[in-house]
Amino acid sequence: MDGNTQRALVSEALPASISEALRAVVPESLRTSRSATADHGHDDRNRDGHARADRRTGGDGAGELAGTELVVGYPGAETPVIAGETVEIEPGSVTALIGPNGSGKSTLLKTLANQLDAEAGSVLVDGRDVHSLDPKELARKLGLLSQESTSPNGLTVEDLVYHGRYPHRGFFETVTTADQAAVNRAMELAGVTHLRTRELGSLSGGQRQLAWIAMVLAQETDILLLDEPTTFLDPHHQLEVMEIVETLHDESDVTVVLVLHDIEQAARYADHVIALRDGEVRARGPPAEVVTEDLLANVFRIEATVEAGTNGPTVTMEGPLHDDPS
Amino acid sequence: MSGNDPTPSHAEYGSRRAEEGRLAWLRDPSLLSLCLASVGVVVLAGLVQVSFGSYPMSITQAWQSVTDTDVLLDARWTLQFLLEEELMRTITGFQGAELPELTTETLIVWNIRLPRVLVAAFVGMNLAVSGAIFQAVTRNELASPYILGVSSGAGLLILLSLVVFSGLSAFLPLVAALGGAVAFLIVYAIAWQNGTSPVRLVLAGVIVSTVFQSLQTALFFFADDLGVVQTAIQWTTGSLTGVGWTQVRMVLPWTVLSMLLAVLGARQMNVLLLGERTAKSLGVSVERVRFGLSGVAVLAAAASIAVAGIVSFVGLIVPHLVRTVVGSNYRKLVVGCLFAGPALMVGADVGARLGLLAITGSNGGQMPVGIVTGLVGGPYFLYLMRKKRDLGEI
Repeated sequence: MDGNTQRALVSEALPASISEALRAVVPESLRTSRSATADHGHDDRNRDGHARADRRTGGDGAGELAGTELVVGYPGAETPVIAGETVEIEPGSVTALIGPNGSGKSTLLKTLANQLDAEAGSVLVDGRDVHSLDPKELARKLGLLSQESTSPNGLTVEDLVYHGRYPHRGFFETVTTADQAAVNRAMELAGVTHLRTRELGSLSGGQRQLAWIAMVLAQETDILLLDEPTTFLDPHHQLEVMEIVETLHDESDVTVVLVLHDIEQAARYADHVIALRDGEVRARGPPAEVVTEDLLANVFRIEATVEAGTNGPTVTMEGPLHDDPS
Repeated sequence: MSGNDPTPSHAEYGSRRAEEGRLAWLRDPSLLSLCLASVGVVVLAGLVQVSFGSYPMSITQAWQSVTDTDVLLDARWTLQFLLEEELMRTITGFQGAELPELTTETLIVWNIRLPRVLVAAFVGMNLAVSGAIFQAVTRNELASPYILGVSSGAGLLILLSLVVFSGLSAFLPLVAALGGAVAFLIVYAIAWQNGTSPVRLVLAGVIVSTVFQSLQTALFFFADDLGVVQTAIQWTTGSLTGVGWTQVRMVLPWTVLSMLLAVLGARQMNVLLLGERTAKSLGVSVERVRFGLSGVAVLAAAASIAVAGIVSFVGLIVPHLVRTVVGSNYRKLVVGCLFAGPALMVGADVGARLGLLAITGSNGGQMPVGIVTGLVGGPYFLYLMRKKRDLGEI
C-alpha cells in the first residue's frame, strides 16, 4: 500500500477513527513535530517543556504502565510477596508507593520494571506485555533507578550519564548529537552539570544519587521508576530529588512511579498514592483521600494526626502503635 | 526550562564530543604512555631473548638478524612461518627445493628464538585480556582466567592424557583447551540458579578448582616415569621452552578472534560494571552477555594454555596494573592489556631463560616461565594488599 492510498483511506474513514488511523500511518517523527507546533500558543517556559514532553512521548498512548493480577515471590520463599494485585498507573502522573518495610513496594516496583518475573499475571507497557519487548526496546520506554547500583570509582559523572544512552545506540554506533543533547539535558535537569568531570568515587552520597538520576533521565523514557530515590540522603538532597520529580511532572508527560519512605513527601509530590502492607494494596487514590489517620494506624501502625495543608496533607507522628490492628 | 537553553560553554562542550569521533578516547596520555612503555619492554626483552641461547650472539648481531632484509622483504618466508611450507608453495607457486639460504644467525633467530618471543607476546595478551573480562563479568578485581576453573580443568585433562591416556599426548593443546572449557561449563552450571551472580560464579570456581586440583595431585601417584612427571610439571606451571612456529600458527587465529571480540565487548563490560539491575534496566541481556563474554575469555585462556600451559598470575596482575594507570573504563583497559600483557610475559620469559644462568652460573636448564610470573606476581599482590584499602571492588 503506498502513501497516497493510505491517505485516501484515512480521509474516507469516519471522523472518530481518523486520529487512530493517522497514528497508524503517519511516522512518529511527523506526528511529534505536528503536536509540538500545536503547542506554540503557550508561554515560552511551558512551550519548551511541552515540546520536550512530546518528543519523549511521541503522541498519546505512551507512558502507559499496568500490572494485572500480579503474583510475585522470591525463590525459596513459600508464600508469595505479592499475591494477586492489580495496579494501573495513570500516564503522565506521579504515583508513590508507600508502606512499611517488607510490605512489597519495592518488589512491586521491580516487577513493573521487569526485573523480577511474576509467577502469575502480566505487566503491560504501552499495552504490550513486557516479555514480548526486546530488552533494549523496553529500556527505551521504561527507565529504572535501582537501589542496588555499584559506582565504579574511576567513572566520571558524564561517562555515567552517557551509559543512559545505551538502549538508544546500536552495537557499532558512536555518540550522536542526539545522544549529547539528551545527556546535556539530563545533567541540567538533575543539576549535576557542574560535576560533569568529577569521578563518582569523589562525590557525596547525595551528589552520586543525582548523577544516577541523570543517567536514568538520559534514557529519555516515557516511564520512570525510582526505587527509594531519597532513602539515605540528607534533607537537602532529598528535596533536590523531589524537585526533579516535580519538574518532570510539571514540564513533561513522563509517568513517574516511586517508592518513598517519607509519607509526607508522598503526600506532597504525588498525584496518586498506593499504600501496601503485607503484599496487599490497602489503599489507593489521591493523597488527600489515602493519607489519613486510619491508614497510618492500619498500614504503618503509627499514631498520628493528619491535617490538610497547602501542599497536601501534613502528618504529625505521635508514636508507634504496639497492638496489632489485624 | 534552562535545560533546553544550554549556556554557550555546554553547547561548545557537546559539539566537541561530537567531533571527537569514534576513537577519541584512545588519545588518553596515560594509555598512550602505557602502550609505548610496553612496546619498549617487549622490544628490549625480545632482543635479549633472541641473543641468548646455546649459539652465542651479541645484541647487535641479534638485531641485525631480526631486521635481516633477506627474510623481512621476502613474503615467502612470512608465509612459510605463518602458514607452513606447503601452503606457501601453493600461494606463491614456488617450486624450488629450498628458499634462498640465510646466514646461520638469521636462521637461528628466525626459526628458533623469535617464535618464542611471539608466542610469549600472544600468551601474555590472551591471559591479560581474559583476566580483564573475567573481572568485569564477576565484578571482582581478584578474578582471573583461572578462578572460574579454567586452569584446573585444563591441568587435569593434561595430566590425564599424559598419565592415563598416553595416546592423546599428540593433541595436548586441544585437550588442554577442552578441559578448560568443560570446567568452566561445570562452574557455570553449579552457579546457575535462576541466573548466575558474580559471587556464586567465584564460589563455584573455587569448588571446582579444589576438586580438580586434588585429582591432579592424585594422578601424580600413578605416573611411573620421571619424564612424564617433568612434562606434566612443565604444562601445569607454564613453560615456553621449545615453542616454535607451530605454536605461533596454533595461537594466532584464536588470539586475533578473541582480542577483536574483547575490544568490541568493552561497552557491554562497562555497563555490566554498573551492577546487574542497572545493566538490565539499560536493556542489556545480562545473562547472555555474561555468558558470551566468559566464552571469549575462556577461548583466550584456552588458546594460551594450549601453547604455554598454565601460566599463573598474568591474568590477575596485568588488568590490575593497567587499571591503576588508565582507570576502569574497559575500552581503555582492554587496549592497555593488549600491550601490557605481552610486556610482562616476554619480560618474565627472559627471567625464565636467564634466571638459572644468573643463579647457578651454568647455561644448563631453563625455568618454566610460570614460576617467574608467580614469583613476581605474589609480591606485587602483597604490595597491593598493603597499599589499597578496598582491594577487590572494581
